[in-house]
Amino acid sequence: MRVPVVIPVAAALLVGTAAAMAAQAPRDAAAADAAAVQRGQQLLAAECGFCHGANARGGSSGPDLTRSALVQEDERGRQLGAFLRVGRPDRGMPKFDQLTNDQLADLATFLHDTIRAAVNRGAYKILDILVGDPKAGEAFFAGAGRCASCHSATADLKGIGSKYEPAVLQGRIVMPRGRANAASGPPRPPYTEATAVKATVTIGSESFTGAVVRLTDFDVVLFDQKTGRTRSWLRNGDAPKVVVNDPLQAHVDMLLKWTDEDMHNVTAYLAGLK
Amino acid sequence: MKKIPCVLGVLCGCVGLIAQTPTDSWPTYHGDYSGRRFSALKQITTANVKSLTLAWAYRLNLSRGNAIVGGEGPDVTPAGVPATPAIKSTPLLVNGVLYFSAPDHVWAIDPRTGREIWHYVWKTRGGDHIGNRGVGIYNNWLYFLTPDNYFVSLDLATGRERWHHEIASMKREYFSTNAPMVIGRHVIFGVGGDALDIPGYLESRDPENGEQVWRWNTTPRPGQPGADTWPDEYAMSSGGGMPWIPGTYDPDLNLYYLGTGNPNPVLTGQSREGDNLWTCSIVALNPDTGRMVWAYQVTPHDTHDWDAAQTPVLIDGTFDGRPRKLLAQASRNGYFIVLDRTNGDHILTTKMIESANWTQSINAKGQPIRNPGKDAIVPGTLVSPNTSGATNWPPPSFSPDTGLFYVGTSQTYSILYLTDTDKRPQGWAAAERNMGNAGSALMAIDYQTGKVRWSRPLAMTATGSTGGAMGLLSTAGGLVFGNDGGGNFVAYDALTGRPLWHAGLNVNTSNGPETYLLDGRQFVVVGAGDTLYAFALQ
Repeated sequence: MRVPVVIPVAAALLVGTAAAMAAQAPRDAAAADAAAVQRGQQLLAAECGFCHGANARGGSSGPDLTRSALVQEDERGRQLGAFLRVGRPDRGMPKFDQLTNDQLADLATFLHDTIRAAVNRGAYKILDILVGDPKAGEAFFAGAGRCASCHSATADLKGIGSKYEPAVLQGRIVMPRGRANAASGPPRPPYTEATAVKATVTIGSESFTGAVVRLTDFDVVLFDQKTGRTRSWLRNGDAPKVVVNDPLQAHVDMLLKWTDEDMHNVTAYLAGLK
Repeated sequence: MKKIPCVLGVLCGCVGLIAQTPTDSWPTYHGDYSGRRFSALKQITTANVKSLTLAWAYRLNLSRGNAIVGGEGPDVTPAGVPATPAIKSTPLLVNGVLYFSAPDHVWAIDPRTGREIWHYVWKTRGGDHIGNRGVGIYNNWLYFLTPDNYFVSLDLATGRERWHHEIASMKREYFSTNAPMVIGRHVIFGVGGDALDIPGYLESRDPENGEQVWRWNTTPRPGQPGADTWPDEYAMSSGGGMPWIPGTYDPDLNLYYLGTGNPNPVLTGQSREGDNLWTCSIVALNPDTGRMVWAYQVTPHDTHDWDAAQTPVLIDGTFDGRPRKLLAQASRNGYFIVLDRTNGDHILTTKMIESANWTQSINAKGQPIRNPGKDAIVPGTLVSPNTSGATNWPPPSFSPDTGLFYVGTSQTYSILYLTDTDKRPQGWAAAERNMGNAGSALMAIDYQTGKVRWSRPLAMTATGSTGGAMGLLSTAGGLVFGNDGGGNFVAYDALTGRPLWHAGLNVNTSNGPETYLLDGRQFVVVGAGDTLYAFALQ
């Protein structure tokens, strides 16, 4: 979601802040850009918002500027500036030749930032997802969901609501494979995790159980999480015999059964376990 | 005017491409125009495939030393361009030379030895370098597209550039991956890109000078057919539908079949109420004019990034005891669809993967109708398949010998969170969190019933089932070549799915395998990551 339109008082404050920042030598380009984006947004809301909407996505009579080819192809306000000085009077777009070059640059910076934000989907912010009914979630946890057959709100899940952001928590309710915050430590191969799929290879009377590094029709590689040793075998048809055991099989089976309502309710319930 | 069935006749003398796939050449992306990727060659068979061995390997030479260098970009490659591309193109074999591409590169290599003949490098301005599907050839000229949206032609013999034309705006987030398809005097390709809400189009260009001959927009403009499936001009003129995978062609009907991309914004439909034609559709175009003859929408009002761009495979078969000209697609939305390719009439629809949970019903036209409850919402909806789909661009195969359609599939899940609640959302407008995979498989589907004849589970890792969509080739030797999701190149028994031979490449194959006969020897060629491998019998 876009930054909401600022109210006039806040706007004045923001403009003041931006001006103060601009007066100092900016430490980095990003800070300067952030200030320019805010100034540009003010300017857009004030000068263009009536027709094009305060978020530039189109308004009472003007088109969506974020989808405009002219804006998307503009280079730092150059083409936009040339256009604004003339306008398109025949189509009801007046000229804006009173804008200074700095203002034009701010306007362009804001529009390009808005477009960048749409492009950069890896940075989309998940909104407030706690809409479920915690009571219903608790009932599902203990009943139909059969979560309580492996988990307990007072044991392994104690305080789980403080441990994870709601969207991370919801993700881990559905599929808790690996670690939630993998970026916080050195990378670890997935077969070192407790939740790794396991398998047992049997040759004659001997058997070896470990986490699955890989299992194909032609080879199997297992990792012993206790000793850190890896073993591999070539396979020919069904020999040697390999039996797979996924500790998260109940979660895999649940993938087909979840309703979104149950999922939201359980998330709301567990998010409340602080 | 009577259409010349195959412009490559000059090169390969081939006609009637549906019936007869050339065996001593591979002149188009699919090997022929049908998209079956079936070869009549049977030197390599189920009985002797055990003796298949490496003939040569060519690791991508990316160096500009000794290369022919062109392009509009700076001398130093812009940041963000991957250092090593994967081979996603299917090499063309024409007049005894293999021609293939990766983003910003084209190579000509000797198909007997894998030695480089010439190498062309394009200095890029940037753009999404996700892949390049290959080159097109007309007489002595080669054509390819660049990530920064240039249509480039090279001299086949020397690799020297003839000209280049810009075909789309990189600043609007267009990027180009398509392998140009040559039909008559038309070089046909589509553009790609769905990061912003931009219009999709397909173009024909003149093979001599590269000028545009026609353009077909994948979404209508006001007043045109299909416009009533969009709320307004705003939505339809920025509605996406990128035709990013090469289509197929029936010379007798003179129809070019194309799968179109998904509508924009990608993961939400609040600003584009309606079916959103001609996105997520199989369309039949007259290649001389670019005019649409018929269309069938595989996913009305898609909200999950499931384009219908996957190869529309042409099958001359029987249905209800009657010979029919058919078209089959294993679609990204998880459904297998068969149409009558003369008129687009629906023949059958079956559910390909068990996990697909997004449909409410199949309507009278055989279209899967979405359950609006599985659209992205703020607190998240659990959907299968994920946005990568049940399958994807890697080319499937159809064997007329077995009557089976081969396709790599997976049963992934995601939670989709709506992040842009504006009445005019932009771009993707929702975030995706992947939730694992209930099982990937290589499937063989009976085209007459849509039922899965056999299904071979793919490799496992510590995080569960892996692999899925894969490039495939079937042969008259009773074989299907593909991968196993675990880095092996595998020859499967086409009738049973039993693996008969494999090569441990340690990287999954990344393009469509192909086969040809040279000096009486059958070669099988496949790309895996940065290396092209050729196999032949010992």
